[in-house]
Amino acid sequence: MSGENKGSQERSGRLLFQQLETIRGVMMDSLLKNYVPFPIDRSLCSAWTNTLRKGGETVIYTSFMYQLSSIFRAYEKHLSTFTRMGGSTKLASLGKFFIKPDKDDLRRGYRILSNISDLLSKSGIDHGYLYDDEPYSGGLLLELGMLDEFWEYGEMVLKIMKDHGVKRVITVDPHTTNAMNRLKEHFAGDIEVDNYLTLIQNYSGDGKFVFHDPCLYSRYNTIGNRIREIAGTAGFELIENRMVTSRDLGTCCGGPLGPVNMELSDSIAKYRAQKLLSVSQNVMVACPLCYQNLKPYVSNMKDVAEVIA
Amino acid sequence: MSNWNIAIERALENNVPKVDSILEKYPYLSQMADEVRSAKLKVIADLDSYVKQTMESVMASGGKAYLARTTDEAQDILKQIIGNGKKIVMAKSNVAHEVDIINTLEKSGNLVSETDLGAYLIQLSGDESSHIVFPSLHMTREDIGRMLHEELGLQFSDKSSTEEIVATVRQLLRKKYMEADIGISGANSISADTGSVVLVENEGNIRIDTVLPPVHIIITGIDKIVPTLTDAMKEAMVQSAYAGLYPPTYVNITSGPSSTADIELKRVTPATGPKEVHVILLDNGRTEASRDETMKEALLCIKCGRCYFSCPVYRVMGKDWGKQPYGGPTGAMWTAIVNKDYATAEYCTHSGGCREVCPVRINIPKVLEYIKWVGIGKMINDKH
Repeated sequence: MSGENKGSQERSGRLLFQQLETIRGVMMDSLLKNYVPFPIDRSLCSAWTNTLRKGGETVIYTSFMYQLSSIFRAYEKHLSTFTRMGGSTKLASLGKFFIKPDKDDLRRGYRILSNISDLLSKSGIDHGYLYDDEPYSGGLLLELGMLDEFWEYGEMVLKIMKDHGVKRVITVDPHTTNAMNRLKEHFAGDIEVDNYLTLIQNYSGDGKFVFHDPCLYSRYNTIGNRIREIAGTAGFELIENRMVTSRDLGTCCGGPLGPVNMELSDSIAKYRAQKLLSVSQNVMVACPLCYQNLKPYVSNMKDVAEVIA
Repeated sequence: MSNWNIAIERALENNVPKVDSILEKYPYLSQMADEVRSAKLKVIADLDSYVKQTMESVMASGGKAYLARTTDEAQDILKQIIGNGKKIVMAKSNVAHEVDIINTLEKSGNLVSETDLGAYLIQLSGDESSHIVFPSLHMTREDIGRMLHEELGLQFSDKSSTEEIVATVRQLLRKKYMEADIGISGANSISADTGSVVLVENEGNIRIDTVLPPVHIIITGIDKIVPTLTDAMKEAMVQSAYAGLYPPTYVNITSGPSSTADIELKRVTPATGPKEVHVILLDNGRTEASRDETMKEALLCIKCGRCYFSCPVYRVMGKDWGKQPYGGPTGAMWTAIVNKDYATAEYCTHSGGCREVCPVRINIPKVLEYIKWVGIGKMINDKH
């Protein structure tokens, strides 16, 4: 490597770590004080239900993902600006005033969560919800490699669950499922972690889609196969293509790169969308962050929880 | 569509079905890959002893062996062996590029020419490589036609066929071999028990580079050591298969300088081939990695480059991701080992396809998660 290139790579590496320091600062501050990754209005997160009982041994665990996926994206989008403006303090103080969730996305998130809760009930899975006591899982820390922070905060998440008498969480998205499984493994915890897709039994749905597998469902778990089983029994069709939807060649939507490099994250989303659209104009996803990332490039897109009922 | 998009799509269309059909047709390859993993793990667990044994074996076969702890040491050894005013032909070697060999030797007054077609195109264009096995992957045949026209005045255009380009470059390279004083190669593997270097290829350039010039220099990483010559052959087979080039056209084994026992069965050296064989083993962070429970997995990489094609970051960024020659998912691990660069791993999206396709079952996303953690830790320490 030439000296010039090496110098330029080192400079961009330093800038990247400065940005990560901003993220780490604002996230840890917010998580340790309020159990949310960014300054947000908590009541918006729990307003999707008022009928579930509070707490109990089994709870649906949203980790705000379906409610706030648009906010996650918005914060990530402004990170480099905040880094230039002075880091985590600016992000914490200014962010909440102008970063608000998209109303349509919020309503869509509420509908999806209600449907998932109904699907669980129809399958005889009794469950409660922690409402405003629900903590964020810390998945973002894990995915950015902030492992010490993830374990530190994760211990607090497990404690909240324990203090509320929760013995089993039912996760609804890949990031929370992965984060909780990692916490369980790391702390040898006795909390049971189940994803709703592995529990539901009574459902139906129709349509024909190309499925964008969430990485954390298909290549870190077997839930990708389970979704294909569900398609077979529910009555909707997933079109498979070796180059686009196979386990080894299907790729990420770029979402996890948002906090690191939004432009690259977006380029990967665009690339992935082109691949998916080459198979079908109707795309199915199973993750709120994939939905947000692919949204600018895919018109006809549904979450699996919008396909089955 | 950008040139990179066209190039990567063509590469995927050509490579994926090829590897699929090879693995289906020769099912023993995946078992062989498991055996390679076990053999390499054995070496990593006791790297110092295997380095010592390998060097002794190289010397026992009449070669000279050197251990370079750093790239600077490797450059000094090379300069000492080669001196100046030499014509050198190179068989593509990633470790050679890790030590910046072309610049080093040219600054010492030598003339160095790559002979692997892809590496030769990269050298001519002054560009960086874009894949660990196929360095000119980012260049379409149209780009190559235009570049050869501009750089060498050859009668090519963006309409020239691949066959025309290859035939012309063949003629150019054959002249270089005939004039070369020294041939330099890397190694796909090197066996500790015999000190034999195994090289797998298709173009024939390695065979000529390593046999025709009177001096053959091998530069390779200590991670390429395996216990036996059988293991070394297996590693080369597996590498070529998972790169989509199986059966390979040529496999070369070099155990010391050329020799003959044709007169009274007394083995003497040299014979027709090289008079001298020098083996430079490079550490440059590998021993440190071997002592780290997570990082040692990266040392298992056989550099087949299959993980690149399953990675969304590589598919979009190409050679702009990482520090070449170590790009793609495996390169994000390797740049941490050899360059202490932890920022490159931060671009991993944990898509996970790299782990699915790795023949030696390296959990690449797990290693990259660990490198991210190391990088974040350093960031915090530097701040305080």
